[in-house]
Amino acid sequence: MTTTHILETRNLVVEYQQHRAIDQLNLAVPAGCVYALLGGNGAGKTTTISTFLGFNRPSSGQVLIGGRSLQDQPELVKSELAYLPENVALYDLLSGAENLRFFCALAGIELGREQTGRLLSDSGLQADAHDKRVGQYSKGMRQKVGLAIASAKHAKAMLLDEPTSGLDPSAANDFAQRIRAAADGGMAVLMATHDLFNAKQVADRIGIMKQGRLVEEFDAHSVQHDELESKYLAHARGLA
Amino acid sequence: MIAIVMRKELATTLRDGRLLVLGLSLFVLFAGFFLFSSYQLQAQRLEKQRVGATAKEQWNSQSVKNPHAAAHYGIYVFKPDLPSAAIDPGLTPFTGQSLWLEPHKRNLTRFNPSADDVLANRFGQASSSFVLYALLPLLIVALSFNSVSQERERGTLRMLHSLGVAPRALLFGKLLGLLTAFWLVMSPAVLLAALTLAGQFELAIDDLLRLSLLLAGLLAYYTVFAALSIGASAYFRTSRNTLFCLLGFWMGSVFVAPRLGAAIGDVLAPNPSASQFWDAIKTDIAQGLPGDGSKQQRETAFEAQVLAQYGVASKEQLPVGFVSLNRQYNDVYSSKVHQLHFDRLRANFATQQQLAHLAGWLGPSLALRSLSMAIAGTDLAHQRDFEDAAEEYRRYFIDLTEDWDRERSHGTERSAKGAETDWRSVRDFAYTVPTVGFSLKASLLPLAVLGAWLGAALWLLAHSARRLAP
Repeated sequence: MTTTHILETRNLVVEYQQHRAIDQLNLAVPAGCVYALLGGNGAGKTTTISTFLGFNRPSSGQVLIGGRSLQDQPELVKSELAYLPENVALYDLLSGAENLRFFCALAGIELGREQTGRLLSDSGLQADAHDKRVGQYSKGMRQKVGLAIASAKHAKAMLLDEPTSGLDPSAANDFAQRIRAAADGGMAVLMATHDLFNAKQVADRIGIMKQGRLVEEFDAHSVQHDELESKYLAHARGLA
Repeated sequence: MIAIVMRKELATTLRDGRLLVLGLSLFVLFAGFFLFSSYQLQAQRLEKQRVGATAKEQWNSQSVKNPHAAAHYGIYVFKPDLPSAAIDPGLTPFTGQSLWLEPHKRNLTRFNPSADDVLANRFGQASSSFVLYALLPLLIVALSFNSVSQERERGTLRMLHSLGVAPRALLFGKLLGLLTAFWLVMSPAVLLAALTLAGQFELAIDDLLRLSLLLAGLLAYYTVFAALSIGASAYFRTSRNTLFCLLGFWMGSVFVAPRLGAAIGDVLAPNPSASQFWDAIKTDIAQGLPGDGSKQQRETAFEAQVLAQYGVASKEQLPVGFVSLNRQYNDVYSSKVHQLHFDRLRANFATQQQLAHLAGWLGPSLALRSLSMAIAGTDLAHQRDFEDAAEEYRRYFIDLTEDWDRERSHGTERSAKGAETDWRSVRDFAYTVPTVGFSLKASLLPLAVLGAWLGAALWLLAHSARRLAP
């Protein structure tokens, strides 16, 4: 039996301004899996996420989403993705509910008031905050609106770029649980992060990137925290 | 998708404090200028009616006298104003508002309101039209210079791209949202103008058509600024660069283009000085146009023709007054020479106006100004139409008095008399401003320039979508 990979790259190379940001990347994230991409600054984590989103054009290789090529059917495959950057960018002058309805409408999903409220509540946003302007939201609250957007889209895959950076431990833990729940619901999650603790806590697989290459990949449950830290530091210091 | 973006833009723009604060300030400014202007227009209309009626009554109540002497008393006629002139006074403050109609000579209009203006008003162009064509585009720039660059800087552009939003749909949605919000905030000003004009003047269908066309012209004009502003915001990487670029464009369009256009017109088609103009008329009357002979030669030939026509040997034997006949003959020639020089002068004005549009590549303000003045009936074409009608009236009443003079005298005597019943039989000067079709015909070039700007702005907006990388 073959596993269907929701997110996949094959020999992906991304170059810009004569710099090879991604070098022969082979990555596969199946449904229900949280994949954590670790690596130092400039390792290529964010470029990988951006390439899945179509922000970067591959120099060679393939990007597949749900088995379909991003290059061939960009609009179609984008509809299967949800994206949560480090700072979920929303419109400050709109409320959380209005932001959710706006982004969903752009994705072709019309939400009623009740459905909007339920999605926001399910993502952990307090009901009294739904109609407040996003300008008054904390970073964690914005992340929850982002999760609600992903949930409303029924996205097959979620791309997270440093999602817990700047969150307090409680919010980060809450967020990790929601990511885990989304994956358990069948979503494929690719998460670029510096946060080893969070990666170990939520991920099924972990890949370490360095200079655009995936230098090591392993089952997250097969390593302990200190072992993960040692692997990470070894690659960071060039010892591995 | 455009509609979704438009609704979001409308909501965020209306909630943005900038629109309310700037919009309210400009509304107050517009309302002040407009109310003052409409009050002034109303007062001017009443004054013109009053003075016109008084002048005609003075004409009517002249004593018994020679008809030609009565003609020399002259009649004042006044250029009527349309209600839309309250919105755009155009050239009214600088062109004369009345014409003194007298025998032998065609006069230029006189009594321009700016000559009576308070000193402070001669600095700058403080009027409601200045708010409409100069300040409101600045409001649009202030509202939209960062409409895309802000999305880029805050990261929402990446969110939108991740959802597969088409860049063109995003930009055109923003354009429609901005324009809708702008008009919603401006609607009290439009309402105020409509109610004030309806309260002060009897608005005819033509007036309503003019006001609707003015609104349509302004909509096109603001769309140019909004499209360029949003396009620039998509094209440039930072809000600062976008703002500098747009402010430069605004200044070029509003301040540089009209002055540059006027300078181009002056250099390429210079006007004669007043003394050159009148001297040339005097010389052509005295010396005659090519092939016509001098005044003395023309008069000699005319006398011979009249004697032959009546079959008499001398002027004294004529059954009609020769003095009047000869004067009428000279007046016809004088009118012909005046017409020639006035037509040349006006053709030069028209050439200057067209040449001024060479500066139209700097921005659409010059074209909008020309269009707006034409619609408000305060441009040169309307002035010319009034002057032509007044000249026609001048010839009518001068000819009438000469007819009385000629028919009531004999030979070279000057005994003809006219009385109050004669003077009262001269019909009033009844001039109606041409319809809006006349304005549009006179505005083909500015309409074309404004249309070209609208097309170019929308094309640039669509083109800048290609650079809309996250």
